[in-house]
Formats: sequence, C-alpha cells, structure tokens
Amino acid sequence: MTSEAKTHAIDISSLKRDNRILNLEEETLALEVKDLKLCYGDNEALHGINMFIPKNRVTAFIGPSGCGKSTLLRCFNRMNDLVDDCHITGQILLDEDNIYDRSVDIAELRRRVGMVFQKPNPFPKSIYENVAYGLRIQGVTKKRVIDETVEWALKSAALWDEVKDRLHESALGMSGGQQQRLVIARTIAVKPEVLLLDEPASALDPISTLKIEELIHELKKDFTIVIVTHNMQQAARVSDYTAFMYMGDLIEFGVTDTLFTNPEKKQTEDYITGRYG
Amino acid sequence: MRQSFSEWTKSGAPWVWLNAGAVAICLIMVIGLLSLIAVRGLGHFWPANVVQGSYVENDHRVRLVGERVQTEIVPAEQLRESGVTVTENVEEMHRSLMKVGNRDHGGTDFIWIIDDFLENKENPEMLFTAERREWGNFYGYLRGIKEEGTLVASHEGYEKSPEYQVLWDALQTRIERVSSIQEKIDHIEKGEISSINYELERLRLKERSLQLKEIVESAPYQEITDRRLALNAEYESLQSELLALYKAINRDSITAEIANGQVVELKIASIVRAFLPNDMGLGGKLVHYFQKLWEFVSTDPREANTEGGIFPAIFGTVMMVLIMSVIVTPFGVVAAVYLREYARQGFVTRLIRIAVNNLAGVPSIVYGVFGLGFFVYFLGGHIDDAFFPEAKPAPTFGTPGLMWASITLALLTVPVVIVATEEGLTRIPRAVREGSLALGATKFETLMKIVIPMASPAIMTGVILAIARAAGEVAPLMLVGVVKLAPSLPLDLNYPYLHLDQKFMHLGFHIYDVGFQSPNVEAARPLVYATALLLVIVIALLNLTAIQIRNHLREKFKALEM
Repeated sequence: MTSEAKTHAIDISSLKRDNRILNLEEETLALEVKDLKLCYGDNEALHGINMFIPKNRVTAFIGPSGCGKSTLLRCFNRMNDLVDDCHITGQILLDEDNIYDRSVDIAELRRRVGMVFQKPNPFPKSIYENVAYGLRIQGVTKKRVIDETVEWALKSAALWDEVKDRLHESALGMSGGQQQRLVIARTIAVKPEVLLLDEPASALDPISTLKIEELIHELKKDFTIVIVTHNMQQAARVSDYTAFMYMGDLIEFGVTDTLFTNPEKKQTEDYITGRYG
Repeated sequence: MRQSFSEWTKSGAPWVWLNAGAVAICLIMVIGLLSLIAVRGLGHFWPANVVQGSYVENDHRVRLVGERVQTEIVPAEQLRESGVTVTENVEEMHRSLMKVGNRDHGGTDFIWIIDDFLENKENPEMLFTAERREWGNFYGYLRGIKEEGTLVASHEGYEKSPEYQVLWDALQTRIERVSSIQEKIDHIEKGEISSINYELERLRLKERSLQLKEIVESAPYQEITDRRLALNAEYESLQSELLALYKAINRDSITAEIANGQVVELKIASIVRAFLPNDMGLGGKLVHYFQKLWEFVSTDPREANTEGGIFPAIFGTVMMVLIMSVIVTPFGVVAAVYLREYARQGFVTRLIRIAVNNLAGVPSIVYGVFGLGFFVYFLGGHIDDAFFPEAKPAPTFGTPGLMWASITLALLTVPVVIVATEEGLTRIPRAVREGSLALGATKFETLMKIVIPMASPAIMTGVILAIARAAGEVAPLMLVGVVKLAPSLPLDLNYPYLHLDQKFMHLGFHIYDVGFQSPNVEAARPLVYATALLLVIVIALLNLTAIQIRNHLREKFKALEM
C-alpha cells in the first residue's frame, strides 16, 4: 500500500463503531451462495459467486455501478424471476434448502427474505394499512394481532412517535425519509429472517440517511441484514462485513474494518481509495 | 419596430396564432351548435301570441287565426310563376309559416302565407289556445259550456268582458276536474290493471310450465285457478270503476267559434290545458313556459311523439348506459389485465392488441347486425328454449330488448376500456408492484390489492369514453331493442322490477323518429331540437358524474409520483 493511497483511504477510527472482534469463520450462516451464475439473455452478469451471509450481522455489498451487487441481492429473494430472459444456475441455501428448488413457494420465500428498495415505495393506502399489508396477505384477520404488530413494527423502525397520531392518514403524505422507514417497518412486520436493503438511503437527505443507518444498527439484533450501497462511508459505518464486487465477480469479502484499512486485493484498494468507481 | 418575415416565423408567433385560431374555431363551432339547438328547441315552449287577420290571395278572402312559427324571404318572381298575383316592381316578399291548428276541422295544422296579404292583423285577448290529447292545438273563441249536452253557460262577442271571465274560469275548473279524473284513470289503467295483466300472464306461464313438465296433480293447478279467479274479480271491479270514471270525464263539453265562423263542439276531456296567450303578461308566459318545459322532461309522449314529454326516452337512455357500464367495465378490465399482466408479450399479443384497437373502428351498425344475429336470435333463442319454454312461441329474450342493447353497446365500447386500462396498468410504477411482491404477496394478490386500485382512475377514464360513445349511438340500437313507443318503463313495481327483456325508448332514436318518421313534420321539428339538446345534456351529466368519480379516485392516489 502506498502512502498516497493511505491519505485517500477512509479513516475508520473516526467512525462510530462498536469495537467487537469479528471473525468470519465463527459466524453462523444465514445464506450460502454456491457457484451462482446469472445471465440476462446472452449476457452473463454474475460469473459464479461463492460466498455466505453471516446471521444477525450487517453485510454490505460495495462496488462500482453495474458490478452486479444489486443483481446478487435480488437473487436472495428471487426478485430476478420477474425479469424476462433471466437465467440462473447454481444454488442459494437458506437453512440448507436451495431457494431455487422447484418445490419452493416463492411468496413464502419472499416473506422470509424481505426487501427494501432504493426509492421508498409505500402503497397508496394509510400508514396503518401499509404496515398491515403483509399480515393481511398472510391471512391474519385478528384486529388485536394486527394492531400489536403494526405498533411493534413502527416502533422498531423508529417511526412510531412521528406517526402514532395519524396512522390512518395516507402514507403518501409522509416525507421521503419517513416513507423509507415505513417501508422498513412494513417489511419487518412480517418477521422475515433476512432483510435485504438495496441502497436504502440513496434517495434521501443526510438527516434521513443518518436515521436509517441508526435503524440498521438496531435491527441487526433481530435480523440478518444485507445492504447494497454506493456510499463507502456508509458501508464502513453500518456493516460488520463487506463484500467488494467488480464486473460480476466477488473480489474480496471480509470484516469491514480489515477490508477498508488493509485490503488484500489491489482492485479493492484501488476502489476504496477512489482510483476508480 | 419592423420585423422581417423570416424573423417573425422563427419567433414562433405564427404557430401560436395558428393554434389559437384552431382552438377558437372549435369553440365557436361547439357554442354555435349548442346555441342553435338550444334556441330552436327551447323556443318551442314559449306561448307565442295568436294572430287574427283576414287573408286575401287572388281575390279570395278568408279569416285566419294562428301562431307565426317561422318567416322567410321569397323572390316575387317565384310567386308569380306559381300563380300568385303580386304587384309590379316588387323584388321579394316575406312568407310566414302559420300554425293554424284545428286539424280536425281545417285538415292542416300549418299553412304558408304571404305577410303582405294579411290584413287587419290583431291579437284579440279573447282568443284561446287549447292543447288537446289528439288532433293538435285548437284556436278559437269560447262560446259556451255544456254539461251532459245541455248548455250551462254561454257568452257572445269578441271583446273582453266580466261575463267572459266568468265563463273562462268555469272552463278552467272543469278542465281541472277532468285532469284529476284522467289521473285516476291513468293510475288504474297503467298501474293496477297493468299489474293484474302482468300477474295473469305470469300465471298463464306458470300453468303452461306445469303442463310442459307433465305434472298431473291437481293442487298446483287449483292454486293457479283460484288466484286467477281472484284477479279476474278484481279486474271486473276495476273495470266498472273505470266505466264510471269514463262516464264522468265525458260529461262536459264546450262550444267554440273557429276562424271561419263555424261553432264547433269540443269535449273537455280532450283538453290538456287551455290558455289565453294574448291576455298573458310576461310573468304568466314565463310560468306557462316552465310548466311546458317540465312537462317535456317529465311526462310520456302524446300523438305519435309529436306532443307531450320524452321522459321514457330519457329514462331508457340513462338505464341502458348504466347497464352498459356495469357490463363493459369488468370485461374490459379483465381483458386488459390479461393482456398486460399475464399474457407473454409477443407476436400474438401484439396481434390481439391491434385487433382490439381496430374493433373500435368498426361501424356501429355492424355491431347492431351482429347483436341481432348472435345475441338476440342465437343466444336469446337458446335462453328461451332453456329457461322460458312455457312462453313459446312468444319470445322472451329471443327478441330485441334492453339487455341485448346494453350488451351490444358494451361490445362496441369494450376496446376503449381495454386501451385505457392497459395504459393505466403500464403507468403503475414497478417499484410498487415489487414492494408488494417482496412482502410475500402473489402476483394475483398484488394485482387485486395494489395494481388495479391504483389503475382505477385510468379505468374510469375508459368508462367515461365508453359512456360518451354509447349514449350517442343510435344505429345499432334500432336493431337490438329500441322502439318508437314503449308501453312501460323497464323499471317498475312488478316483480322482478328490472325488465331486461323489455324494449325501451332512447333519446337518439326519438330524434330520428320525431324528425323523420313523424306524421306531422312541422309540429315535430322544434321537438327534434329540444330532444337533441336534452340528449346532449343527459350525456354531459352522465360524463360529469363519471369524471367526478374519477377525480375522487385520482385524489386518493395523487401523491404517487415516482
């Protein structure tokens, strides 16, 4: 590592972090990716990814635009199935079952692996109905159960105090940051095991971004979180582990602190020091 | 500041002028059209003054009484050629159409006169107009009132006097008495007796269906016979009540002097209303005008549709459009959802889409022919075979009717709804769909709970366009269910209340019928304009309602700008 590179690297010590010693070898697995290849038509977007996602940790995917990080994320809940001409080979194991198996109920998989998108996408319903949507889909009809879950989800998403007096107003009247936290609340209301966040703060202002990041910190106690981000500072702030991807390959995967301060691969170093990307 | 032509062109000003001009022309045409039909149509109800004069043409002198309807200019040469003696040096003359009424005495309601030949023009206050149930208007001087053939009051002379006023007031009270009796008769004939007839017919069908099922026990037949006897008894009593009413209504008559001096007798029962147009103030005329206007929209037509109101036609039009909307919306939405959401987008879907779009361009009469051949004869015939064998050989659904008309128009307008709905579905952001799918909803749940509700304003747009098209359509309806005069409304108090098999009246067809099929063209012409105006108003109201619903839906999904 050159001294010039050092000056551009992110100063990890200045960021707010809990200084636990993390070790990838000791983690329990939430998801395991085995030789995953994905083609859009004739164009191969992921060239055989092998990795795993540790349970109850935040894993960040970083990399330049078009490197396949969002595509990989969308493989975890089979969102890519919606894209025509998308072919997938390889396996992703969730609790040792391949989610690409023929017998898998996709709706059930998506309940277990929830997802929050780049832009807030609340439904044109009331705040309450947005959060209750997933429950109603699952056939929950008891009002008491729904009330409790909605309150819990909104509290977990740090939104309760802001909206408790206007639960039955339209969700479309909220600010962008609030909408994104509402979407997170809506997703965790169905109690997924894994939470996929696809650049959740990229459309938000700095204050809302900060709130989302704090929220991720809180949520990792209960959920396994995978976050895709363009913002390396954000990856460094919120994640325990970071995966660097480039051109459809996983280049490096490791403990966030190590990856940012002492990357093993030249490509990773070049990216995090801002030489390209 | 002078500007060169090329600079002026470059500035875009001509373009703006061109656009503004086009918009102005459109506006002028719409306003012109509406005001033409409004003026012509609404003017008809104004109680015009009645003119009396002596008319001399070729040394032939007659007394003339009538309302001036319309005036035009004719070249004198043309008149000379047709044998009218016109003074020299006159280039052109005014010619008027006079409504002289008294068709039962004179033969024609309307005559053309040359204005200059009418002498001693005056508007006598005693001259009265009577609107009659048949034979059109009556104009004349009231001479006497008869009760059961004997004269009870009379008056001579042409000047207004207190005695005349007494006579006139007596006539008005007798007309009121007659109309209250007429109301009772209508109530019995159209209400009670028609209900009894309806039930008798149902009993006959019930009996016939028992026979067809080869049921031999006597109990059900006995029940029918008992009920029939009861109904017949009820009918008899109503009939005798009617006889008494008819006797009462025909008690009074009047005598009146008409234009040629003859005194004629007129049954008061035949008079709807009588008034003295020359003796009315502006207030009185206004009251009369609005009464006539209200009568026009709220009552049944009289005299082969040339008099009275057009309420059944308004009702039929609205009813048909509503039923059509109820049918077309689900069909269009389901088809659009399949095409957009489920079908694989490829050559075949493209072909279907082109076909659907072209369906909107098929001439409407073709739909009428298809509706008659397929819906009425084929489907209707089979429905009759399967469900109404007892009514045969009389058809129930195997004949044009409200349901088939609505379905034919639904078929005609379904492309519009499909196209609008598809457009709406395409506009729903992918993010929202994915949001729902990511929560574990299936595609169907996402469609039902998120996508279709969000597309509902677009669906309403489709329905609005469909209504606009369907309400104005006449040609196919003539084949599949519209009639000149329907005996009853398709919605009444007899079970099953909504009679989808009945024929109905329609404003569009009414215009055609009154305008071109009428025995009395001159009398009917203003009604064509009035009916056209009403058709426009009805369509506008239907559309405004739909637009209101759409705006409400839009408001609900407003902030979704992604």
